[in-house]
Amino acid sequence: MQAESNPVLARHSVNVRGAGDRTMMFAHGFGCDQTMWEPVARNFERDFRIVLFDYVGHGRSDLSVYSAEHYSNLQAYADDLVGIGRALELQDAVFVGHSVSAMIGALATLRSPGMFSDLVMVGPSPRYIDDEGYRGGFSREQIEELLEFLADNHLGWSAAMAPAIMGNSDRPELSARLENSFCSTDPEIARDFARVTFLSDNRSDLASVAARTLVLQCSNDIIAPVEVGEYVHATLPRSEYRLLEATGHCPNLSAPEEVTTAIRDFV
Amino acid sequence: MSDQLPLEDFEDLYETAPCGYVSISPDGRIVKANRTISQWLGFEPDELVGKALYDIISFGARIAFETHLAPLLRMQGHVHEIALDLLTSGGEKVPIFGNAAEKRGPDGRHLFTRLTLFKAVDRRTYERTLVDARGKAEAESRAYRDAALLRDRFIAVLGHDLRNPLAATAAGIRLLRRAEQLSKRGRTILDEMDGSVGRASALVNDLLDLARGSLGGGFLIERNADAPLTPALMQVVAEARSVSTESQIDARFDIEEPVYCDRGRIGQLAANLLANAVTHGTPERPIEFDASTRGESFVLSVANAGEQIPEGVVNRLFQPFFRGSGPSQNGLGLGLFIAWEIAKAHDGQLDVSSTVEETRFTFTMPARLGGSQRP
Repeated sequence: MQAESNPVLARHSVNVRGAGDRTMMFAHGFGCDQTMWEPVARNFERDFRIVLFDYVGHGRSDLSVYSAEHYSNLQAYADDLVGIGRALELQDAVFVGHSVSAMIGALATLRSPGMFSDLVMVGPSPRYIDDEGYRGGFSREQIEELLEFLADNHLGWSAAMAPAIMGNSDRPELSARLENSFCSTDPEIARDFARVTFLSDNRSDLASVAARTLVLQCSNDIIAPVEVGEYVHATLPRSEYRLLEATGHCPNLSAPEEVTTAIRDFV
Repeated sequence: MSDQLPLEDFEDLYETAPCGYVSISPDGRIVKANRTISQWLGFEPDELVGKALYDIISFGARIAFETHLAPLLRMQGHVHEIALDLLTSGGEKVPIFGNAAEKRGPDGRHLFTRLTLFKAVDRRTYERTLVDARGKAEAESRAYRDAALLRDRFIAVLGHDLRNPLAATAAGIRLLRRAEQLSKRGRTILDEMDGSVGRASALVNDLLDLARGSLGGGFLIERNADAPLTPALMQVVAEARSVSTESQIDARFDIEEPVYCDRGRIGQLAANLLANAVTHGTPERPIEFDASTRGESFVLSVANAGEQIPEGVVNRLFQPFFRGSGPSQNGLGLGLFIAWEIAKAHDGQLDVSSTVEETRFTFTMPARLGGSQRP
């Protein structure tokens, strides 16, 4: 499918492929872009229609429509997600969201019931900062430290480079990309997204999520600790929980086979 | 054998190289580290082995490593020029720069990740100073913009509010002239007052135009072809003649009507150019006023003899509040700026040429709806 034929799809650099009646949509989290999902997504191409995309401000999305004011909360990203779902006429699709996208997906199901019947949350966290009676794993000072780090590491980002990254939208292969470009974001946007992500609190939304949900929890994940995954599982009305052997926050890259098996078992 | 080069000891090079070496397992544990990095961080050489990499880097860097660098390492096999803060055994931060690369086995399996690290205290300070300076410059520039906006709003409000008392004064003058018995001297004074009120109103109108222009509203113009332009321009020329009795104005009209324009605004443009010519021209030589259509364009030019405009000044003529060094310096220096804005709003252009012979302003615009301008 040609993403350019529809402005919503073009804006999010939407990539649709695969054979199958049912759609499985993959959403990247904080840090990198849709490329993160390639090692897992390719395993579902034969049985599903696969949808990959970049949030506005990331990857090869249309940076010109980004505004810090508009994207000041996760709901704005969820609305974009719903927009893509509508453009593709999704019904009872599977949504696989990594990291912050798990909550964006949950918000999208509340906004548009019926679009996604099944959610896969990989390393979800409804709130990163500790609160009374809740341990998210972060303190506010630590978020500031993270923002500082982002300021020190622009990972080769330069505004002049952006058109080159976006110009290749007909060639999604890794080889066509510039060094670091998968995770290279305009520093201002990266900082905004870090704030929106790490200061979010979606605990109260979880109880209303009607979709069947699989919580995929990594062992030893400093961003979404095991107890947070257990909290999400306990709070969601209809969820399954699976603790992966994979360590770190990105099992889609470090253990794509294990993630694939878990998703396959669930759907 | 004093000319023989000393042999390098690779084991010693690894251990005491002027950079830190750390190798970490796929699950993030340190499997090997050299003496240099151990010393920088205040550990015994074998103390680091077995620790998690995250035990020796700052929290912010851990998150970023996990969300940005680890994925890049998996996807690219390497990441270069990363900035991290390491933590000493005492918990102090040591800024470093480094490269990282994955070492994979023959089967492609990830064996470990190698990090080469350089202390970068001064370099980081320098970079942060630059970033801070940029942030400060941006903040200042924002402050200036805000101040300019505030000033323009103030001008707009002031200009607007000045109109009412001026209108009241003008009405008062009219009443006095009509209803009262006045001495000859009284009439002269009233005439002078009338002239002053007129000038003040013109200044206020210019100010309002300026404020609207810089507030982004642009010059509101209403273009149509409902009436002829020639009479409007004749009126402007007649007014200019009545105001400046010592200057002669030779006017020529050759307009194929109708011209698609805002006649009031084109009249204002013509009046401003004439006022400028009267101010800067020599009274001995007539001012040439020419308004004509040529093909698809409407062209209006005003020329006067007088001192040549210095080259450096030409570029600034159309800036607001610019006032040349002429003999008379009436007004705010907005006339040409407003003429320029009117030209722009009509998709036209305003050019100036100045020689020792004459100074000529030429305004060109498309004469018809949807027409393009003559090149």
